[in-house]
Amino acid sequence: MVRSGSFHVDSSSASHRRTPSRTVTLGHIQPQAPSYRTVYCNDRESNQPVRFKGNSISTTKYNVFTFLPKGLFEQFRRIANIYFLGISCLSMTPISPVSPITNVAPLSMVLLVSLIKEAFEDWKRFQNDMSINNSTVEILQDQQWISIPWRKLQVGDIVKIKKDGFFPADILFLSSTNADGICYVETANLDGETNLKIRKALERTWDYLVPEKAYEFKGEIQCEQPNNSLYTFTGNLVAQKQTLPLSPDQLLLRGCSLRNTEYIVGAVVFTGHETKVMMNAMNAPSKRSTLEKKLDKLIITIFCVLVTMCLIGAIGCSIVTDREDKYLGLHKSDWEYRNGLMIGFFTFFTLVTLFSSIIPISLYVSIEMIKFIQSTQFINRDLNMYHAETNTPASARTSNLNEELGQVEYIFSDKTGTLTRNLMEFFKCSIGGISYGCGVTEIERGIAQRHGLKVQEEQRSTGAIREKGFNFDDPRLMRGAWRNEPNPDLCKELFRCLAICHTVLPEGDESPEKIVYQAASPDEAALVTAAKNFGFFFYRRTPTMVHVRESHVEKMGKIQDVAYEILNVLEFNSTRKRQSVVCRFPDGRLVLYCKGADNVIFERLGNGTDDIRKVTREHLEQFGSSGLRTLCLAYKDLNPETYDSWNEKFIQAKSALRDREKKLDEVAELIEKDLTLIGSTAIEDKLQEGVPTCIETLSRAGIKIWVLTGDKMETAINIAYACNLINNEMKQFVISSETDAIREAEERGDQVEIARVIKEEVKKELKKSLEEAQHSLNTVAGPKLSLVIDGKCLMYALDPSLRVMLLSLSLNCTSVVCCRVSPLQKAQVTSLVRKGAQKITLSIGDGANDVSMIQAAHVGIGISGMEGMQAVMASDFAIAQFRFLTDLLLVHGRWSYLRICKVVMYFFYKNLTFTLTQFWFTFRTGFSGQRFYDDWFQSLFNVVFTALPVIVLGLFEKDVSASLSKRYPELRASMRSRPKVPKK
Amino acid sequence: MSSNTPSSSAAAAAGSAESSAARRNSKRPKYSKFTQQELPACKPILTPGWVISTFLIISVIFIPLGVIYLFASQDVVEIVDRYDTECIPPSDRANKVAYIQGAANKSCTRTLTVPKEMKQPIYVYYQLENFYQNHRRYVKSRSDSQLRSVKDENQIDACKPEDDFGGQPIVPCGLIAWSLFNDTYTLSRKNQPLAVNKKGIAWKSDKEHKFGKNVFPKNFQKGNITGGAKLNPNIPLSEQEDLIVWMRTAALPTFRKLYGKIESDLHKGDTIEVNLQNNYNTYSFSGKKKLVLSTTSWLGGKNDFLGIAYLTVGGICFVLALAFTVMYLVKPRRLGDPTYLSWNRIPGGR
Repeated sequence: MVRSGSFHVDSSSASHRRTPSRTVTLGHIQPQAPSYRTVYCNDRESNQPVRFKGNSISTTKYNVFTFLPKGLFEQFRRIANIYFLGISCLSMTPISPVSPITNVAPLSMVLLVSLIKEAFEDWKRFQNDMSINNSTVEILQDQQWISIPWRKLQVGDIVKIKKDGFFPADILFLSSTNADGICYVETANLDGETNLKIRKALERTWDYLVPEKAYEFKGEIQCEQPNNSLYTFTGNLVAQKQTLPLSPDQLLLRGCSLRNTEYIVGAVVFTGHETKVMMNAMNAPSKRSTLEKKLDKLIITIFCVLVTMCLIGAIGCSIVTDREDKYLGLHKSDWEYRNGLMIGFFTFFTLVTLFSSIIPISLYVSIEMIKFIQSTQFINRDLNMYHAETNTPASARTSNLNEELGQVEYIFSDKTGTLTRNLMEFFKCSIGGISYGCGVTEIERGIAQRHGLKVQEEQRSTGAIREKGFNFDDPRLMRGAWRNEPNPDLCKELFRCLAICHTVLPEGDESPEKIVYQAASPDEAALVTAAKNFGFFFYRRTPTMVHVRESHVEKMGKIQDVAYEILNVLEFNSTRKRQSVVCRFPDGRLVLYCKGADNVIFERLGNGTDDIRKVTREHLEQFGSSGLRTLCLAYKDLNPETYDSWNEKFIQAKSALRDREKKLDEVAELIEKDLTLIGSTAIEDKLQEGVPTCIETLSRAGIKIWVLTGDKMETAINIAYACNLINNEMKQFVISSETDAIREAEERGDQVEIARVIKEEVKKELKKSLEEAQHSLNTVAGPKLSLVIDGKCLMYALDPSLRVMLLSLSLNCTSVVCCRVSPLQKAQVTSLVRKGAQKITLSIGDGANDVSMIQAAHVGIGISGMEGMQAVMASDFAIAQFRFLTDLLLVHGRWSYLRICKVVMYFFYKNLTFTLTQFWFTFRTGFSGQRFYDDWFQSLFNVVFTALPVIVLGLFEKDVSASLSKRYPELRASMRSRPKVPKK
Repeated sequence: MSSNTPSSSAAAAAGSAESSAARRNSKRPKYSKFTQQELPACKPILTPGWVISTFLIISVIFIPLGVIYLFASQDVVEIVDRYDTECIPPSDRANKVAYIQGAANKSCTRTLTVPKEMKQPIYVYYQLENFYQNHRRYVKSRSDSQLRSVKDENQIDACKPEDDFGGQPIVPCGLIAWSLFNDTYTLSRKNQPLAVNKKGIAWKSDKEHKFGKNVFPKNFQKGNITGGAKLNPNIPLSEQEDLIVWMRTAALPTFRKLYGKIESDLHKGDTIEVNLQNNYNTYSFSGKKKLVLSTTSWLGGKNDFLGIAYLTVGGICFVLALAFTVMYLVKPRRLGDPTYLSWNRIPGGR
């Protein structure tokens, strides 16, 4: 399947690593049934005999009949309930000192509450299903479109889906209102990728668009049986006695939505639970909180105490009981009083029944109830965690892990979409040694604030334009004012370079307001948008031409359309780190425009512009330290002869069959030299709101934050600076695969050799860093440490032999940045810390590539409110912004932990006192097991009389107010260090 | 996602018509003090002043109370006489069980001296020790429904092994009734009989509701072994107060049960002769038997425990208050001193 947009400028080429999205396998691929399914389009009767499944879905766990048996079974998987069932059975026998009601009543009450909760949750799922099943779709009936609910949709129906509508089933794409039978699809619900994918209908079916025409469509689809592979589809369409092969390009999956297309017509292939997305639906693995696991151990301990108590009683009883005690009437042959051993044996079970209340039966239910209220009432409804812009409140998708939030020590964060908005904005530029743009970045503002400087509110000059991708404010360059600057020619070249040297596709109306740029990366779009705002409006691209509407070029106010002929495109890749375009102006001038990373461009500059070079370099450093992403721009005038001779070589290289990329690179080197520096651009990779403060607060709370990103190292470090994770006072350890030794080995090309060399290098680096780290830890007031490691090195560092070293190094570092990591590696790093260091981990991410990491951590958090749902679906909590972590961890997590701990202590306290009274009493009753409390009192003590105080404690207990615990994050660290749960 | 200047998380400008429409679709949680966890709460800070004064107040209240309770307990005059061994002729003391199960005359005379003035009513108790009336097997061996109503006289399931006699239900059935205490006391002072009122010793509620007026003893104590007292089959259970008292089983193995009341004052130095029938067999389980004559105070019988407990708690609080005061004066600590915060004490907090 062709998946457009998987190439990013800042991500590496496919040869370097696999694109993250491809490595995500959603569930395992099921073996396909050998048979094919045949679907008769537009012909319900012919499909009748096959009995395809309907389109209604059901995600409920139970139905009316299975609810009781299945629900009870689920309940009795809990060991405590089994225990109480056993006790209840015991209490029915004559050896019991208490009436059965004592144990049956609480057990049934507990079961009842749990079942009601299950029923309630299932009911909500049912209602959700119903609302999906009842949403409407238009299908073709008797030459017109008729709305029917989704659930009535059948295989073979012809449906019409309008713009922004969701596909109700897996649909074979027949025709679209767009030219060339294409439509745009957003697959965010499937894989979290927000860029639009193109689907193309078979040419033969393009006409079936209007009802009259579609009515005539009679075809037979032969295709594979339903399966869960999202990116494959094979089949044939037999129409008008022709067999046409089908590919995934023609399949529109349920869960996706239609974009940028007025409407499409298609034939339903898979419905309901047979759709690919439903077959992929998997339940997130249920996580149990560590506290709950500790609780199990505690209960086992208590159980041992119980057994000990009963043993003492049993032994006591067999010693004390005298068969001659005449008032006990033992003389009348009672077999259970035959001898001391018998007496002891039966008394043991009598006492077990009597003391059973030492294990708090309602503990789990109460805790569950408390956590449920905590998550539904407190977390979900916290106004501090409501994001107004995206209209998203926080949502606790599971209530199991509330208190786990209070114990988190490590946060693993994705970068794009989580720390940053993935929203690139053209912010500053430097042309011919003059820096333009007077904005102040958030990072600069943050630094100033930390130094106690007053930061004035952003003041924008009048008429400053602000749009997506453009946040530049400097009247010197706007509206043609650049003509009066010292270097108007360089300005012009810069703008042209921005407008020409790219691979962006314009879409929509050819007017500056309405045009939409489809770019492989938001950086590129931002640069083209910038050119547009400077008066160089790129509005049309044909295979050979780039059309630019230029204003103010010759004189102020003049607008003219210029078409540049694109002769060669020297594409971007991660080794070249630059991109060039050779173009011919209408007047015949031949120019090479090049943009790329600063060091790459500077290496290739011609002589003569030393002063500009020096100043530009300074500017680049300034931009970099304010957290901006920089690119250098350069150009070169070519004379036709040199160009022609070079072009021949280029064409040769391009048609080479072996080592084409390498040869192309070599050829590009030939022409990309002696460049003239124009200047540089600086793009702000906008951080999410409040990220640096949040990170600072969290690290004061003793939480260590690791950034795991697929981005290249420079970007990752840049963002780490921006987020306050790394600063210049820190000692940085960088373990990169971009070293000479490794590169050399790679050039030799022997895979085994490469692996060996990298492993050696990584080992050497790790060892060195670890020694230094330990050294600096031993010195007083040594610098804080940070580690930067890239994916390739990480792969070897995660090797079992090096793992320990990596772990001990990284645990000593305050912050760790892993770049170029695959989703799998993200999960591996997470579980390395989780298992290796036995620390509570939290992962936060927004995309499909974070799913594995989210599931690997103790607590997984998804960023909601964006388009992608995959991360949220896999997460335990969903919040709209990274900064809400402060509230989630420091307020809710902290309180939940405190409360649950107190609740547990309270429970054991009250049950111990309750039962120990019984225990001491048995000493005064000749160990006979006489009860001390009334039956009803004993049965209701746990579930009624003492239920409310505990729950109230679990809901309202506060040691410090929310604002205090946010202002003094250290409180949380101090809480964690002292064990709240008694270690028995 | 818009790229506008990040607006604060406050809701979109309220008031306009558009925003009210937006509010309807808004998922913005509704404000309530409960969901925002802003309900008023208080957390008392234990300042030295508070702590010391609380301890002082407790000791000031508890110590006088303890003294009052102790005095009240001291006011009670109690005569306790253990007679289980004394009432067996010295020759038979080697085998007490044989003696008590034998047919010899069990009468015995004890002489008590009144140490202080005793105001009426004076309660006569018998005290048994090491008698597990709270034994699980013993406690459940009774039939409340049978005691209550003549209709239910066949409900004797719980009464084993004293449930029936030759197929006929025993009324009252069960081990408790069967083992009814049967020592009797006859008191005299200066050769004048001292009346012991045996009416009104049982709980009124027991007489009226738990023991039926028309339930008469049947087949009682007819088995091979006699457990204890016999009952007059012509008196309904509700009037058999000794039985009613006995059937209210004691919680602990040492217990007193009311035998009767003396409704005249006893004077200091009076000697009282007790003529008792030592019938009840406590010897097989080495239990003790005691006769107790006691007055009561407003606090009940003689019991020093309450007073001592109050005095102890009050005393401890006083000592603590004193200790804290000294500590406060010797080594004061400023309230809210941030240097005591854990993260300030442990530098680095790594």
